[in-house]
Amino acid sequence: MASSDDIAIIGWAVSPMERRTAKTEQQMLFEVVSDAVDHAGITRADVDFTVAGSCDYVAGQAFSFVQNIDAVGAWPPKRDSHVEMDGAWALYETWIRLLAGDIDVALATGSGRSSTADPALIYPMEMDPFYLAPLGADALSFSALQARALLDAGKVTERQMAEIALRSRTSAKDNPHTQVSGEFDLDEALATDYVRAPLRKHDLPPITDGAACVVIARADKAREICQNPVWIKGFAHYSELHNPGMRDLLTSPSTTLAAKAAGLDEAPVDFAELQVAFSHEEVILREALGLEDDTPVNRSGGPLAANPVMASGLVRIAESARQIREGQGRRGVAHATSGPCLQQNLVCVLEGDER
Amino acid sequence: MSHQPCAVVGVGQTHHKTRRWDVSLGGLVREAASRALEDAQMDWSDIDAVVLGKAPDLFEGVMKPELYLTDALGAHGKPMFRVHTAGSVGATTGIVAAHHVETGRHKRVLAVAYQKQSEGNAQFALGSGRGGSLGAGGAFAPYMRSYIARSGSPLDIGPMVAVKDRLNALKNPYAHLKLADISLEKVKESQMMWEPVRYLESCPSSDGACAVVLTDEEGGKAAAADGRPPAWILGTAVRSEPSTFPGRDPVTPQGAFDCADDLYKQAGITNPREQLDCAELYVPFSWYEPMWLEAHRIAEKGAGWKMVESGETALDGDFPVNMSGGVLSSNPIGASGLLRLAEAALQVRGMAGEHQIDGAKVALGQAYGAAAQYFSMWVVANSLDPFGR
Amino acid sequence: MTAPAAGTVEMTIRFPYKRSLGPVIGAFMTGLASQQILGIRNGAEVMCPPLEWDPRTGKELQHDDLVEVGPAGTVVSWTWVPKPSAQHPLDRPFALALIKLDGADTSLTHAVDAGSLDAMSTGMRVAPRWKAERQGHITDIEAFVPGEEPQGLDDVLPDEPVAMMPYNAEIPYTLPIAVNTLRNAAALREHRLIGLRCPVCSRTYAGDRAFCPIDTTALTAEHEVELPQTGTLTNYTIITPVQYPGQTETEPFARCMILVDDSDLVLGYQPVIDLPVDQVRVGVRVQLVWGDTDIDGWQPTGDPDVDDPDLVNRIY
Repeated sequence: MASSDDIAIIGWAVSPMERRTAKTEQQMLFEVVSDAVDHAGITRADVDFTVAGSCDYVAGQAFSFVQNIDAVGAWPPKRDSHVEMDGAWALYETWIRLLAGDIDVALATGSGRSSTADPALIYPMEMDPFYLAPLGADALSFSALQARALLDAGKVTERQMAEIALRSRTSAKDNPHTQVSGEFDLDEALATDYVRAPLRKHDLPPITDGAACVVIARADKAREICQNPVWIKGFAHYSELHNPGMRDLLTSPSTTLAAKAAGLDEAPVDFAELQVAFSHEEVILREALGLEDDTPVNRSGGPLAANPVMASGLVRIAESARQIREGQGRRGVAHATSGPCLQQNLVCVLEGDER
Repeated sequence: MSHQPCAVVGVGQTHHKTRRWDVSLGGLVREAASRALEDAQMDWSDIDAVVLGKAPDLFEGVMKPELYLTDALGAHGKPMFRVHTAGSVGATTGIVAAHHVETGRHKRVLAVAYQKQSEGNAQFALGSGRGGSLGAGGAFAPYMRSYIARSGSPLDIGPMVAVKDRLNALKNPYAHLKLADISLEKVKESQMMWEPVRYLESCPSSDGACAVVLTDEEGGKAAAADGRPPAWILGTAVRSEPSTFPGRDPVTPQGAFDCADDLYKQAGITNPREQLDCAELYVPFSWYEPMWLEAHRIAEKGAGWKMVESGETALDGDFPVNMSGGVLSSNPIGASGLLRLAEAALQVRGMAGEHQIDGAKVALGQAYGAAAQYFSMWVVANSLDPFGR
Repeated sequence: MTAPAAGTVEMTIRFPYKRSLGPVIGAFMTGLASQQILGIRNGAEVMCPPLEWDPRTGKELQHDDLVEVGPAGTVVSWTWVPKPSAQHPLDRPFALALIKLDGADTSLTHAVDAGSLDAMSTGMRVAPRWKAERQGHITDIEAFVPGEEPQGLDDVLPDEPVAMMPYNAEIPYTLPIAVNTLRNAAALREHRLIGLRCPVCSRTYAGDRAFCPIDTTALTAEHEVELPQTGTLTNYTIITPVQYPGQTETEPFARCMILVDDSDLVLGYQPVIDLPVDQVRVGVRVQLVWGDTDIDGWQPTGDPDVDDPDLVNRIY
């Protein structure tokens, strides 16, 4: 039973997911925002607050987000903010703001063009500047270290990792907003060389350019505008200490904390959309979230099918809303992550109306 | 859920300097954060969530520093959030942190903003490494020329602001610039940087950090009962507008008015000049003081400079502005906005030391960013209802 | 290196950062320069590499409570890097590993020069191979090698404690150029000045602008207008150049706002030609001067100045 505290997703849009777009980030955002407000049945003028999630280093320019406000629509002047985080956290900021009760409609965007530079050169820059960045230690290497730890502990096998990748990419065939989809032969795949042992090509996400936008509204307004609101029942995020060499890589305690704070354990979920960029992460996250073994994960394909860094997490939330709207479940959970070896995690629990 | 009261119970900042080479990046933010915690009589473990803000990562070459700084700020096992709204970011950081408390999500939130510019080069970062960079001053100089022309302001007003703020800074132990021999002549003789703005009318490039501890009504009242008066947040507002379209007025931007109007309405302010006791405004180049006084309706259009000329905005004037020395005296870009909010809080708590305005009850803190297109402001007071509504 | 695709531009963000290390990282790096690996005590544990704070609680640690660890250690996890990047410590295939040095309770991340993937295993023993030229940097250890004994030991100590660390970030980008920017560039090559007129509000924007931000309307070829190549200088600044890596200017230079004739478009921060900085003023009538492919600047026409007190407000 929704109260005036409740906030719902009333619309969203996910851009084409491409290996290399010819569009500027501003162009990508213009399109997803236009599509999302259309989808929500409103116009930009109806939006009271906007928050963007993007990253200067991914864009290759200081203050890159400033020109993006043209795409979002900041005239007359708008309540607006920006986080240098995935759009999922931008959505979190809009959600917090709407809880204050004085404004009704907000939207969050996430965008990034990973194609423009080599991730191996960018991502070391988000690591410890003294001990890790100077070694060129990047996200892929740390993920591989975490995968190795899981294999050594017997928590996953390379075959299981490949199965996760296969399942995700097969499922992605039904999703127009993906980049890499389709079946592959497991044994052939397992015979290929490692890219970053023990990770093989199929265990890694593609490099993707993409964007997403999600529109939310407060209860009365949501009901007024939208026939089929998707309620945000819980929303929380937690972080862990940074250096992977100081953490237990077999678990994701911040995911568990976020899940608890978001009330995930109050009822079972019909599906999950998790920001699994590397196949083995699914094992850790399933356990950390306490998902049942038969809970479908990443029917959209997940980041293994399309990984628009800075929007990947927000896309999980959009995909979850879509699945609920389309009747593929009534209650679902979306997850986003940031930092090496799942350092920071966000959980968003969504529910459609009772039928 | 509506808006619950939020109190500032701890303020901390670093000694701002051109180069804080005595500390590591973590050490810099911890210096401010520990001072704020101490002021709040709290420990790292008392904090429920952290909000971090800073301006472009290109300044230090550390991308998404909230990742590295999570444990430096005691945020292991807690939510950590990072905002970036250009020059206004420090203020946005405080405001986002306040929302976390006002909506009942968290009881005690630490807001931290910083910049360690000495590790890179500010001009480089602003221009993304390209030659012939305008620099921050170059972009705004035309705005200031326009203000001078349209208001008929005497040319001494900018230098007067520059002198006033540096003299105020002498009373702020944390301020970067300590120009004891500053004078109108010195300012007017200093190197022209971005005509009409001279070197001594411009902000320094500083390494520094600021931290604020925010808590709920219960926490604020407990601090008050303990003899540690809080600053109560009466309102917060943010606005963004596009930088470039024919007919835009960047001198008194629409967003500046809209943001102030929203803020004053929340705070119950109908006459800002009378109801505010003082203000910390984001003035990185001297002429911004009269410009913001007008754009935030503290002075009538074209009359902001008169408040400067008559001495109203001096420390001993009727409407003191930038008692701390302001951005003109310390500018760790990412932190400067939070410093404005923090200094406003110190004033109404009676804790601004030598630069305290006697009897300050209601204060404004404001920051702007990019091409005068991002605005973040708050009003704090020594009680929840200073106007007896 | 192949040429970028038509419609893309290449640029590199490159800057030599220098980081101050503070008391603990500074001691660690000084230790490395002395071929010593230090950890810091954190309660009953020893943390290596050392932080100034307990990462779980945030509590400040005692900065001088340092203890030597290693030199050998055990590999806790590892991965193989078959194609090292420019930022990696070795230019031949190597392992990146988490190494728990003897006496430490946390793992140090570093390279292991094992020769081949098959030589790597969790639990193997490794020891540091030191560089001959050390500067107090994590790469003073060139890499770890299988075995118990450190390699490259010498008696060389640093002259003074290490307090700073260089970091040379260099990231090349290939950025697609927006359609309007390309079309505008083509017009500029043809020495045409074009604008884009918003179909809703009729404002004229520069030819490379993608949207009217007032109406959030996309601007396309159908909105193109040919603009006169004359205008009026409305506002300006004279910049005294500051030195920084990448700076090209040496003398004070002007940047001016030019209101283009027959439109409401103001071109911002334009260079001027044949107009000394001390003669730059509001109201000067100017005309466009072309370079090969772009606007070189604006030159006085010699016509009388425009006398309009509102001109100076036309910054946009």
